[in-house]
This record gives sequence, C-alpha cells and structure tokens, in this order.
Amino acid sequence: MRYSPTLVDHFLNPRNAGMMQLPDAMGEGEYAECGDLARVFLRVRDGRVVEARFQAYGCGPTIAAASLVSELAVLRPVEDLLHLKPEDVERGLDGLPDDRKHAAEVVTEAVRAAARDWLSRRGGDVQASA
Amino acid sequence: MTRRVYLDHNASTPVHPEVVAEMTPYFSEVFGNPSSVHGFGRDAREGVDVARERIARFLKVPVDQIVFTSGGTESDNFGVKGLALARGKGHVITSRIEHHAVLRTVQSLETQGFTATYLPVDEYGAVDPDDVEKAIRPDTVAISIMHANSEVGTLQPIAEIGRIAHAHGVPFHVDAVQTFGKVPIDVEAMHIDLLSFSGHKIYGPKGVAGLYIRKGIKMVSVQHGGEHERRRRAGTENVPGIVGLGKAVELRARDMHEEAARVSALRDRLWNGIAARVSDVRLNGHPTQRLPGTASLCYRHVESESIVLGLDLKGVAVSAGSACTSGNVEPSYVLVAMGLPLDWAMGAVRSSLGRSTTAEDIDYVIDAVAPLVDKLRQALPVGAA
Repeated sequence: MRYSPTLVDHFLNPRNAGMMQLPDAMGEGEYAECGDLARVFLRVRDGRVVEARFQAYGCGPTIAAASLVSELAVLRPVEDLLHLKPEDVERGLDGLPDDRKHAAEVVTEAVRAAARDWLSRRGGDVQASA
Repeated sequence: MTRRVYLDHNASTPVHPEVVAEMTPYFSEVFGNPSSVHGFGRDAREGVDVARERIARFLKVPVDQIVFTSGGTESDNFGVKGLALARGKGHVITSRIEHHAVLRTVQSLETQGFTATYLPVDEYGAVDPDDVEKAIRPDTVAISIMHANSEVGTLQPIAEIGRIAHAHGVPFHVDAVQTFGKVPIDVEAMHIDLLSFSGHKIYGPKGVAGLYIRKGIKMVSVQHGGEHERRRRAGTENVPGIVGLGKAVELRARDMHEEAARVSALRDRLWNGIAARVSDVRLNGHPTQRLPGTASLCYRHVESESIVLGLDLKGVAVSAGSACTSGNVEPSYVLVAMGLPLDWAMGAVRSSLGRSTTAEDIDYVIDAVAPLVDKLRQALPVGAA
C-alpha cells in the first residue's frame, strides 16, 4: 500500500465530513490541474476553533487530508491556522507520495482561507460596534 | 482475512495452470535456440511450430501467416508501421479511441511525412463505417481500427469496415488484443489483413503476442537483425512464451463460448446490482455489441481514483477511468471522445471479469461499492466536479 495507515483511516472514516449550518467562517482551496476542491467550515468561540467540518472532491489523499485538517483545527486560535503549512498536513497523515503532495496543498489553502474569512468578518464586527 | 476479488482482466490475467505446465520444460530442459540445426534447437523449434499451428487453426489461417512478437504494443507498431513504411508516404485512417500503441504509432508516422485521419465515435464508442468510407483518399495506405476498446468494451463493426477497406483496396489492420480468445473472429468474413493479439489477456504469459499477416500484403519489418519469423521479425523467439501462448489459445478455443455466456451474466449481475443501490450511475459502451466481461461504470460527481482506492482497501481490484498523475488529472480520452460530460467522465471505473469470477465475488463488490459511493458523496461540495 502506497498510503500510510493514518491516511487510509481518514479516507475510510472521514471525520467531520459534510456542510456546517451557519458557520462563522468558510474557505476553499482548489487545485485546478486535477480538479480537486476542498471546503473548510469553522465555528469559532473566543478566537478559537470549536468545530470544523469539510467537503472535498478529489482522490483519496485529498479526502483524508481534509478530514485530518478538520481535527487539527479544533481548539487552535484562528490566527494559528494562517500559518498552517502543507508539510504540517503531510506530517499528520504520516506522509504523502510525491504525486499526491497536492492533497496537502489544496486543504491547507482551504483552511487558511477560512481563517482569513473569520478575521475579516471579525474586523467587520469590530468596525460596526465601534 | 479480507476477501480478494480481481476484476481487472482487461489489464492482465493469471496464467492458466495448464499453460504453466506446458511452458515449464521450455525454460531448462528444452532450452535450445530454435534457429540452431542440432537436436536441442530442433526440439525448441518443434515447440514454436506446435504453438503456431494451434493459433493458425484457431484463426483458420495458414501457419506461415502468424508472426510472433514481444507484446500487443509491438504487434500494433509492426502492423501499422509495417504497412505505412512499405508504401513510403500517404494517409492513414484510425479512430480516436485506439490504444496508445496504435495512436502514438500513427502520430509518429505523421512526424515522418504521413497524414492521418482520427475518426470520431458515437455515444456508445462505435466507429461509423460510413465515416471510414468518407475518409478514404487515393493516397490512403492503411486503416487501423480496434476490434474492442479495453475501457468500454464496445465491439466495432469490423466486418463492415473491412468490406469498405477491401472495396477500396486499402489494407486493414485490426488491434484484437482485447477480443482475441474472448469473442469469435473470422479474418475472412471480416476482411482483416493484419490482426494483433496478445498472450497475457487470455491466461497466457506476458511478453509474447502475435500478428496475423494475410498472404500477399506488402509489409516491411520494423525490427532488423536475423532471419527469424521468415525475415519478418528479427530476434530469437521467446520459446517458453510462444509455447504458452499456443496452449492458451488452444484452451480459449475450448472454453471461450461457455465462458462468454457465464461472464456476461455476471457482468449483468454487477451492473443491475449497482444500479439498484447507487444513484447517478451509468453503464458506458454499447448495450449489446460489447465484450462479455467488461463493465465501465461512471459515478457522477465522484472521483474515480477515490473509488478505486476504497475498493482496493476492501480487497477488490478494478481500474480507474481517469488517471491523476503528478497532480494533473485527465479524464479518459475514450469517454471524452464518446461525448461524456466531465462530471460523469471523471468518475469512470472499469470492472473486467474473467474465468475465476464468481457470483459471490460480484455480490461482495456490489456490497462494497454502494456504501463507499454514499460516503464519498456525503463529503462532496455542492457544485463540485
């Protein structure tokens, strides 16, 4: 098997798959060359992620990477997610083959976009209440 | 232990035990070079001769019209280039859904001054014989159309195309790698001048194949060296492989018809079982004019490789219709040529059944596919694909 047991487990038993109703933030990542798409939803309390969900279209590693990120994000300050790297996702999956590195990239892009979305929404709230 | 189900017989097949038994002495006991005049060589030559006779009998052609090669790819290269290069220049007709062994051979001829027409196919993956006739020009030197496509299994109207080719005096090559030994082939009734066939698709060994060349067809060799195969294909014969191919063909002559009926019923069981439990799924290819054991299914909005991986983890071997390599995914060119929209074509999965496939295997696969596709669709972004 070219994939790690961790990756296989996330693929076979994806955590937090599906849409979130009324999320506090949402972000997308896309890998146009292979049509992969990942979408990450966040629920945030006091600047920390309390719940994350994902939707993904792509090969097995992309689905597994999105599932992993939905676990990694929880309890983290949202700002931390801006600094998440594809290498972090790859490490969490116990490795990716060279021709599947894009799985970590597309999912990292989605979670960073979700973090930016929350920060921009919060900025809007601050301005509105000022 | 996880059950293991092999549904990739169009990719390769296990060597039949009777084939292995026939081949075994030719590795170490009968090891001579068939070109040698001494007894060791004559013994090896006899093995090659028997194989050639078995294949010639199966195809109902004279023995001297069978040439052994190293694989289906070499047979296709030899067939197409051999015809074209013998005529020096001109126009070649083929289809858009040929195996790469033909497509890239024709493309290489284009770089050498030949011109080419790549015929379209209809929604079932079939070439229209009228299109062949319209494409023929005074300088057409060869027509190459496959008997059945490996991916969708649609049988081409070979007899009608052959009739047109002969009416215009154009030699006709047929890549029959996926049909030889699975469905009847009559080179006379189908007006076939050259026919590529291979060993490992029919429970023979890998690395051995053949090309039927009708007597009188002007050809040039593409591989040069010794005087082997009546100076048509240089290189010491792969004697164990050829012996195995001959035995495999003999077994196909015995088993082919009965197996086709059995495997065809199992293919229908697979399709009906999946269609009853999975929404948005379609069977590709012609509904009746098709290979007995091939079922190409498209699961809309699901990425084929994720299904292949999910089934592999359940011990089931199928093949993906779209291939993602180095982060660049391409839908099958065959399905694209058939006009399938991308959201269907990206979810193509081929199952190809064979002599060891059982009804229990099929039911196991149906039980594995249905929840897998459900799960993949649950994680799907709306409007993706």
